This record gives sequence, structure tokens and C-alpha cells, in this order.
Amino acid sequence: MLYVDQICKSFPAGAGAQPGPRRPVLSGVTLRLEPGEYVAVMGESGSGKSTLLNLIAGLDTPDAGRIEIDGQDISALDDAARTRLRRSKLGFVFQAFHLLPYLSVERNIALPLALNGVAESDAQRRTEELLQAVGLVERRRAAPRELSGGEMQRVAVARALAHRPKLVLADEPTGNLDAEAAAEVLALLRAQLKRDRAAGVLVTHSVLAASTADRVLRLTRTGLQEATAFA
Amino acid sequence: MRLNPLIDAAVLGPMRSSPGRIGLAVLAIALGVALGLAVHLINRSAADEISAAARSLYGLADLSVQGGSEGLDERFYPLIARTQGVQAVSPIVEVQARYADRRGAIDLIGADPFRVNRFQPALASLANVAAEGPGVLERDVVYVSAAAARELGLQRGDALRIQIGLDVAAFKVGGVLPAAAFRERAGVIDIADAQQRFGKLGKLSRVDVRIEPGAGVERVRERLRALLPASASVATPGGAADDALRLSRAYRSNLTALALVALFTGGFFVYSTQALFVLRRRREFAVLHALGVTRAQQLGSVLAGSVLMGALGALLGCAIGVAAARFGLARLGGDLGAGYFSASASAFEVRAAELVVFAALGVAAAITGAVRPALEAARIPTANALKAGDVASAQARAHPVFILVTALLAGAALLAPPIADLPLPGYAAIALLLIATVAATPVMVRIIATRALRVFTPAHSVARLTRPSGAEETKRSSWLRRSRRSPAQFLILEIALAQIAGAARYATLSVAAIIVSFSLMTSMAIMVTSFRDSLDAWIQKLLPADIYVRVGYVGQSAYLEPETADSLRRLPGVARAEYSRFAQAQIPGESRPITVIARTLDEQGAGETLWIVHEARNSPPASATPIWINEAAADLYRWGSGEVRRISIGGREIDTFVRGVWRDYEHQNGALVMGRDAYVGSTGDRAVNTVWLWAQDDAPLDRLRAEIRDLLPTDAQYDLRTPQELRRSSLAVFDRTFAVTYLLEVIAVLIGLFGIAAGMSAQVLARRGEFGALRHLGFTRAQVGAMLAVEGATLGALGVLVGLAAGALVSLILIYVVNRQSFHWSMDLSAPGMLLTLLSAGLVAMSALIAVLAGRRAMSGDVVAAVKEDW
Repeated sequence: MLYVDQICKSFPAGAGAQPGPRRPVLSGVTLRLEPGEYVAVMGESGSGKSTLLNLIAGLDTPDAGRIEIDGQDISALDDAARTRLRRSKLGFVFQAFHLLPYLSVERNIALPLALNGVAESDAQRRTEELLQAVGLVERRRAAPRELSGGEMQRVAVARALAHRPKLVLADEPTGNLDAEAAAEVLALLRAQLKRDRAAGVLVTHSVLAASTADRVLRLTRTGLQEATAFA
Repeated sequence: MRLNPLIDAAVLGPMRSSPGRIGLAVLAIALGVALGLAVHLINRSAADEISAAARSLYGLADLSVQGGSEGLDERFYPLIARTQGVQAVSPIVEVQARYADRRGAIDLIGADPFRVNRFQPALASLANVAAEGPGVLERDVVYVSAAAARELGLQRGDALRIQIGLDVAAFKVGGVLPAAAFRERAGVIDIADAQQRFGKLGKLSRVDVRIEPGAGVERVRERLRALLPASASVATPGGAADDALRLSRAYRSNLTALALVALFTGGFFVYSTQALFVLRRRREFAVLHALGVTRAQQLGSVLAGSVLMGALGALLGCAIGVAAARFGLARLGGDLGAGYFSASASAFEVRAAELVVFAALGVAAAITGAVRPALEAARIPTANALKAGDVASAQARAHPVFILVTALLAGAALLAPPIADLPLPGYAAIALLLIATVAATPVMVRIIATRALRVFTPAHSVARLTRPSGAEETKRSSWLRRSRRSPAQFLILEIALAQIAGAARYATLSVAAIIVSFSLMTSMAIMVTSFRDSLDAWIQKLLPADIYVRVGYVGQSAYLEPETADSLRRLPGVARAEYSRFAQAQIPGESRPITVIARTLDEQGAGETLWIVHEARNSPPASATPIWINEAAADLYRWGSGEVRRISIGGREIDTFVRGVWRDYEHQNGALVMGRDAYVGSTGDRAVNTVWLWAQDDAPLDRLRAEIRDLLPTDAQYDLRTPQELRRSSLAVFDRTFAVTYLLEVIAVLIGLFGIAAGMSAQVLARRGEFGALRHLGFTRAQVGAMLAVEGATLGALGVLVGLAAGALVSLILIYVVNRQSFHWSMDLSAPGMLLTLLSAGLVAMSALIAVLAGRRAMSGDVVAAVKEDW
């Protein structure tokens, strides 16, 4: 489903983009994920976790190596094609939720469906299904500001999965939540990924969060290494 | 240099981080100050010139006995000279002499050279000339002022050709007077020559008086009043200068008010900028408060930022204003092309006090605009604002009491009378109405955007269909189902509308300035169209004949002898003719004479050529002469239909009965129409100024024109025009007069558009995370751009809608209150539908474009980094 092959990425060492010495961030990173597989990536601050996610999402391009999503080499795509791929095959969960503040819960969830041209009746059906799955049927008309942090992240998970993406990228999804809400969200994310057979990459500092993934990888200067396995 | 961290964070920080927006706010204030100052400087320069010119006519006189419309019988002259307390007198005969070889007229002053030099030391040379000769100035010799010599290109020995009736009299230029003598176009001739030449034998226009030291001006004035007939008055030279200024005061004050609109809009712009700044930096203010910065310090820091913006804007504005005034005065003249002060060559001078006042106005506008945002900054709930996702402050808040009170105050101001003859309460009502409109805008924005969301987005319509609802919603939904637009396209619309509805306060801040400027543009457009259409209809009503021959005007030396007018009537091809004569009458107790238009008139059919707005219901007394007064006369002299008033005309006092009030766009200082027979009966004056000629059906007008030219002397100056030509030239003058106002409006709307630009760019910054998330979810740059365009267009459309509604109300105030009180004329309401449609469409398109340009950061790669803050 996801194949990251020996990618490298570096950034200019100084300010701006002037030619000069560069600071390597990722060197020879390789990762393979099968459908339905869920991995956690851990690493110290500055280890390149965000860069890795940007590269997988097609928001940045590697200096070397290639990334395939569902058999498609995204390095060969232009910005518009990468955007279309992201729209149809990827889902995102952010630490700060990033729900659209003036859309209701159900419209936030339905957003990727509309964006992918799903008919309104089908979109309604799928939204209903996800509302039930995340336990927010009663709050469907609520605005994001009326929700708790845990509820907002549940909406974000539903939104990430609404269009049945092949791959979900989650960045510290529990970073702003208390332990109880975090556990709920992590369980929900895992359950939904497994149900839809979507692959998932969870970036986290939390060992507890990482323990919900199938595998845990540690990102270091030498690449991604298997840490331990939870299954 | 180490700065106070608070000043650095709250005052200089925004300037460094948002130089574009702050720069626009400074520019908005600068434009407001510049326009206000420029118009004021031009107006003041012109007013100074008019006042000085009027004052210069009187020299060292303390008082002036004015003869009124018919002049003062010269038998009063020795009585005035012998009055207790009078030290010196100078008799004057003043004539508006028409040039024979060009358009226009010159003031010819008939004076006694041995007396006038005691009042005008600069005319001492005239006494020397007379002393060397027969004791008077030589007959047919004129001494021209420096201004006249310069303008007419005259020098000693040249001839000044003057038209008297249809005859031409050539005056030899005896010399050019020193510049200190008269400031405007004028010429001095011997008083006896003036009386004889211009048919004023035994009459004086005025007698200038110098009083003995310690005699007391008011005491002497009272003695003179007791001596004089009712038609005469005793004025001070200062009063005469005020009268000269009064003619253009309404125009000048309206222009200044319009110029200050830009400053008003600039104030709203500062309000938007500062309010957005406070909203965006909510968390920073909360952090500062948590760290120990007091509420007062927070309030002060925002106000200090505004003072800095205002001061920068004021400095820039003063520089631009002075340059613009200098340019405007040189290119357009003191009246900015309106034709009020054509006789004056305005000098330019800037006073420090004026710069201080306008700079202070700029700073005050900036402070006023910042008060509310500053108070909000000081009231930010610290704990809430420090939480993630705090967006409550963007919610629209209704202020029903404030809106109601402001609207009521506006209504009350409309009922108030003018102050010092100026429609100041009317202007106050307009300002209050606009403030109430802006205060009500958040709620209106929320309602309109929410409704639009329901109508235009399928999800909301479908959602509503799940509830019991009426046929209207079913219809809407079926319309949407039929639509071929993709869900993604609807999504863009939905997000944009939801954003505006949800953040109505942000939206209002973005459109506040455009609402104010567009409503004023709308109101001016409606007022100007109403005025222009009414003027056009008025001209057509007033000009029923086929050809008009006009020679001279009120008080001028040119006219037609009745025999010549009859000859025109008898020309082949003429079916019939009517005559009119311009003269003046005196209303007892009033210092100014009223214009008289004596016309061949059928009393019953007066309404066919006069636009009667009110008719007398009572019958006229048999002894009273029927007259029709214009609206200005009705307002200025508090005169009404059906009233009997005594006026002095041709040296006789007659009773008049006001048969009706007519609409008149020509005589702003009052005029009355009376039958020609009654006029001739009262005055004996049979001269004619205008001959109205109706051609026979088959008579070609070109031939008739040629015959008229053949009949009249070749060297006489006269106007020979068809109604179409008169209409064209009148409307051209109208358009030229209002050209400056269009420029002022466009500048105000530009400042309004700055508001949308600043608002959108601020919002894009505030919503970076949202845009970043959308790009992650698969929104293309084009879709983000489209969303911004929809938001900009929607904001523009809201501004246009609210602006149109408020503008329509303001136009009613302008038409029925401000214009009526300023110029005393009424007009019929007429809206320029096509113009407003085009302006609205243009503004919506501009708003969309500006939103995309201002928000281009939302489409850049940087926005993706907004969510990286988490990664």
C-alpha cells in the first residue's frame, strides 16, 4: 500500500534558500506498509518525523528515493496530481484538530466526500455511519467550538476516514487530549482503520499511543528502525 | 535602543509584522486628511479672495449707504454728508458693464475723484489727473484695475468697448490703477459720466461713509437709517463681504463635508484594522495580561498604536493636501470648476493653524476608530483566550439598544432646523445613520449569509427537507438537484458562506469601510441623478419657445430696446413672441435685493412655463400685483403662497400677492416672476433682456436665426440659442460642477476597498491552519483561490446590498433636507438604476479580485506549514 524507498531529504543550513551547506534530515529511509497495517513512528524532536509525513503526503519532494502509494510513484506527479491523490487516497488527523470552525460536525465529516464528488445521498449515508461510529450522532449539528477536545478529535478521525482512504496519516492525535479522551480516540482510530482495511502511520511521542499500533518504528539519523511490536 | 516590551509587542510589533495593512490604514487616514485639507485650503483661499475683493471696493469706509435695487436718490447725498458724526462721504454709481467684444462683464465704478481718494489712498492719482483738467475725470475715459488690465490685456491708450443696450461705447483707458486699489476686475470712470451713460441720472448706487473718531459706528448708522427711505440700507463693508461669501457658502460647505467623508471612511478603516489586530492577537494580549500587564496598559498600547498611525497619516495627508490644493487652485480655480468665483484669481497661502487642525482631525479619526478595539483588547478574558481553538470573539453581537438610540438620534436631527444657514443637523443625521448601519451589519451579515447557505448549498437544503417544511424549500432543493454543479463546487460555496456567517464580525470589519463609502457613493449618485433629471425636466418646461435671444442680465448695461424686440417679433417666420426683463426689487427690511423676472405672462397659464410647486388657494386682493416667487425666496424671506407683501420696485412701493411658489434652479438667492405689464406700469422700464420666439410650423429655424443676426447690430453681444443648445450647455455646466464630487467619491470607495483587502489578508493569516488543513484534504490552489474569491465577492455583495439600502436613505436626507436647506431647491427622486447596477457589479468583482490578491498567501506553499506547527 505504501512503499518508501531509500528517501533522503536535506534543508539549507542557514536561513533562506540560498545555495550553501545543507543539513540532512532524512537519509535512506525505507518503509513498507500493507493494507490494514498500522504503524507508529517515534523519534526525538528534530529527527525528521514531520518531514517524513510531508514527503508521504506529497506536500514536499525528496532529494532522492521514491515513494509509492497504492502502486503510484508520487515523486513523478505534479502538484495538481499529488493534490488529487491526497484528496482520494489519504486521510489526515492533526494534533490541533483543524476542523473548519464554521461548519457543523456532520459537514466537517462530509467535507472529503463532497471534495471527491460523492453524491449527496451517498455522502449523507456515509456521514451517518461515521457519526454513529464516533458516537456523535446527537452532536451532528454542533459547531466545533461547542465540542470538547476529545469530541473534536473524534470528528477529525471520522473526517479522515470518510472517503475510505487507503492511507491515514495521524500526527500526535492525542497531544492535546487528556488520558481518557486519548485512549478513546486511539481505540477509535485503530478500529476504523482495521474495519476499512486502511493503512495508518501514527507519529507520536507517547509510548502509550504507540502501543496501539501494530508495529513501532523509531526514526533516527540512520533511518527507520523497528523498536518493538505490539499486536 | 531598548524599548518597553509592551510598546514593542502591541505598538511596533504589528507595524513590523503587518506593514502592508498598517500602511493601508496610514494611507486611508492620509487620503482623508489630504482631501479635507485640500478642499478647505481651496475654499478658504477663494473665500479670502472674494472677501478681500468685496472689502477693497469700500476702501477705508466705515459704513456704506446702499441704494437698493433702484439706487438712492442723489438728493439724499447732502443729507448723509451733513449727518452728525459723518466725517467724509464718497458717492458711487456702480454698473455691471457688458463687454461688447467678448463674453462677460466688468464692474464700472463711477466716482468723484476728489472724494474717492480719501477712501482709497491708492486712487490719489485720479484726483491729480482731475485737478490738472476741468475738475472731473475726462468723459469716456476709464482707469482699469490691475486685475482687469491683466485679464483683458489692456494698457494706457487702449479702448475698453462696453455694450449699453445694443449700442457700443468705447472707453479710452486712461491708466492702470495700483494693485492696492481694487483686487478684482473693475474700472473707474467719472460719476457724472456713469450716470449719464448708463441711464442713472439723479441716482447713486451707494454712498460710502467715514465717521468721525469717537462718533460710534452704530449711533451714526441709526441716524442714517432714520434719514433714508425704506428701500435703502446701511451696511458695514464687512457685512458686504459676508454677503458676497454667502452666495457660495452652501456649495463650499457641502464640498468640505463630502471631502471629510473620506476621513470618516478612513476612521472606519482604522477601526477595522485595529479590531482585526485585536481579534488576531487575542492570545498575545491574554499572555501579556497573564504576565502582569494591566488592562489600562493594554488599552493604552492599542490607542498608542492608533495615535502613531494617525500621526503618520496626518503628516502624509497634510503634505499631499497642500500639494493637491496648490494644484487644484491652479488648474480648476477657487470653485473647483463650479463657476461661482470666476471673477477672482485666488491666491494660495497655508496657515499653521489649519495644518494643526487637519492633522488633529486625522489623529482624532484614528483614535475614534480605535477606541472600541482598544476596550476589547483590555477586556479579553485571559483564561479563555489562552485555550486552543478560542474563536468566540468572531461571533456577531447585536447591539439593539445602541442601534435604536443612534437611529432615533438621526431621526431627531432631521427635524432640527439648519444651524447658521447650514444643514449641519442633516449631516449629523447622515453620520448617525451610517454608524447605526455599521453597528447593525454583523447581524445582517449573519442572517443574509445563513439564508444564502440554505438556498445555495445542497447539504443544508437536504437537511432542511428532513424537517416539515413548506413548498418553497422543496422548490429550492429541486433547483439544486437540477444544478449540474459538482459537490466540490458547492463545497467551496458552502465553506465560504459558512465562514462569513460564522465569523460575521470579521466580515463586518472587512466591509465596514466599503459600506460607508458605497452608501455615500450611492446616495450621491441618486442625489445627482435626481438633481440632473429634475434640472433637465425644469429646463424643458421653462423653455417652450423655439429660439431665445438674450441680451444682458440683472443689473447689466446690455438690453434690447422694446422697438428692437418688436422688430424681432415681426420677422418673417415668427408665429409669436414673448419678452422678459431682469431687474431687482427691494423687500423692506432686507439688505439684499431680490431678482425680478418680468415676463409676458398669462396669469392663468403661468403653470405652463413655470414649475409651480405650490399655489395660493385664496383670491388675490384687487389692488395687489400677482407674483410667483421661487423656492429660495420662499425659504429666505419666509414668504408663502397667498400672502400679500409690499416690495419696492422702480422707486415705487407696491403690494404683491404671491400666486404660487415655483421651482427654480437658477436664482439661489431668491427671485420673483411678475407680469411684464405690471412691471412696466410700476417702473416705466420697457427694456427687454430676453425675447422668446415661436417659429411658424413651416419656418426653418436656420433661416430665422440668420434673419435675427441680420437684424441685430453686428458688433453687439447677445445669446441666440435654441432650447436644445441651452439644455446642452446647462447640463454641461452641471456635469462640470459635480465632476469634483465624483472624484471625491471614487477616493472614498478606494479607501473602502482597502478595508476588504486588509480584512481578507488579516483573515488569511488568522486562518492559516484552516487553509493548511484544506490543502491536506485535497483542495487545489485553484479551489482555495475560488473559495477566497467567493468570500470576497460575498463580502462585496453584502457591502453593496447594505450600502445600497443605507445609501438610498442617505439620498433622501440629501435631497429633502441637505439640498433644500443649502440651496433652497426641491427635486424629484430619480435613481440611476443602470449606473448603480454597474457600480455594484464592479465593486463585487473588485472585492473578489482583491480578496484573491490579498489572500494569495493562502494559496502558497507556506500555508501547508501552518499545520506543521504540530508535526
